[in-house]
Amino acid sequence: MNPRGAHCCLSCTRFEQAPAALEAAMPGLSSLSSAYAAVRGEDGICILHERYVASTSSCASFAQAFA
Amino acid sequence: MAEIAQAANSSIAERGSPWRELLRKEDWWAIWIGLSLIAVAVALFAGGSSIRWIAVAPQKWSRLSDLALQLRLHGLQYSALFVLWSVAFGIGAGALGIRISRFLASFLLVYLAAACIYFLGQWDQAAHYNLEPPLVALGAGLLISNTLGVPRWLDPGLRVEFYIKTGIVLLGAGLPLTLIAWAGPVAIVQAAIVSLATFGAIYAAAVRLGLDRRLAATLGTGGAVCGVSGAIAVGGAVGARKQEVSIAISLVVIWAIVMIFVLPILARALNLSTGVAGAWIGTSEFADAAGLAAAQTYGGYAGNVPGILGSPDAAVSAFTLMKVIGRDVWIGVWAFVLSLIATTRWERTAVQGRSSAAEIWTRFPKFVLGFLIASAAMTLITRGFDYAAYKKDVVPALVNPLQALRTWAFTFAFLSIGLTTRFREFASIGARPFYAFTIGVAVNVILGFVLSTQVFGGFWNRLGQ
Repeated sequence: MNPRGAHCCLSCTRFEQAPAALEAAMPGLSSLSSAYAAVRGEDGICILHERYVASTSSCASFAQAFA
Repeated sequence: MAEIAQAANSSIAERGSPWRELLRKEDWWAIWIGLSLIAVAVALFAGGSSIRWIAVAPQKWSRLSDLALQLRLHGLQYSALFVLWSVAFGIGAGALGIRISRFLASFLLVYLAAACIYFLGQWDQAAHYNLEPPLVALGAGLLISNTLGVPRWLDPGLRVEFYIKTGIVLLGAGLPLTLIAWAGPVAIVQAAIVSLATFGAIYAAAVRLGLDRRLAATLGTGGAVCGVSGAIAVGGAVGARKQEVSIAISLVVIWAIVMIFVLPILARALNLSTGVAGAWIGTSEFADAAGLAAAQTYGGYAGNVPGILGSPDAAVSAFTLMKVIGRDVWIGVWAFVLSLIATTRWERTAVQGRSSAAEIWTRFPKFVLGFLIASAAMTLITRGFDYAAYKKDVVPALVNPLQALRTWAFTFAFLSIGLTTRFREFASIGARPFYAFTIGVAVNVILGFVLSTQVFGGFWNRLGQ
């Protein structure tokens, strides 16, 4: 599957990558870094598996946004 | 249905567009703001004028009446400077998705508090009472946030990284490209030795203590490369548990704040020159903002504390070369290599990651480009001046005002570190991650000291002179 395709975390409803939400979910992140930083790329939190993952990751429990 | 799928795919494509990043990442906004200020300063200088009217900075004072006089004479300039910063950072914050009205309400207080700290630092007894502005900003912020508490409505204006990156771009204007080319290779070699040793120590200790390899790698990169930024970059690349990334963040922040106070104290006790101390801090601190607080503090000792040799700016310059050029720029490589190992060698998790060399650029800290462009531009612009003309014309009209703007940006950041660090909210760390990370801290500090003072000591001393 193409990394930008529909089955990667980026397009999953269980993927949270809004910077403000990430900073709220991980205290200390904004103290000496930032969720708006380039180093973060498009990483975010998988709410289902409670992992911090790259947006190009995938899993068997994918749930399509807008579906 | 097809339209919905098309809309979803279009949204995904837009979210992944490389052009979108130019407006949605604070690294790029630090570049736009920093380079715009430099461009305006250069344009005014070329036209026979200067940006110094608005780049106002407190001057030395000894009595409250002197202070009041400064405020009376320059009150309009300080107001104009507030408007300038509000417009610059406000536009950037808005583009990042932060509500501008909320940002500005908070930034007003940040600016006023930073002005108080900046003025306090110019008191002629400040050094006598150890009232170095970075430490005062940090200490006051920590005290307030961990006792009285900071209301949530202040959060939008407490953007540590946004301010520090803008300050680093402005700092580029004060560092000749020739100096970066001369010192850069040494910084890279020294940083590589320490980064590899520190990562190896933390990773090996963590695995030996029975911690998951993904947590070990996240802790290792947080300690060895670029602190919290390193931890989130590698945590995402290897697919660590959310709780593991939070643990790494907590450990990095706690140790980084300890080191802001400890490293200048140790360096001062050992009478290290500003260049050597800056290199040591750049090697052994964990985050840019924390390290700049320590380095700027130490630079302030030059000329104020007997036995501390070197120019005040050398500490910040050596720190920046070591940390930004020597360590930060490699984070993408670390993330790529570790994601490759995670996907091919480590136990699989429910989420399948993928490794791509594109990570090297994706995670590259872009503000470094602004720092280098600023340095190159200023080197080019000032090359026609001999030393006497440079000192007489360029320094007061161009270099000093940009340095004042940089100091403002750094002060906003130092204050924000303290105000955003609420220890009670941190993740519960656990003994094993603490031991593993602390072993790395010991390796980092000792090896950084030996390399900065013994192996490359002569080099960093020369930089300070």
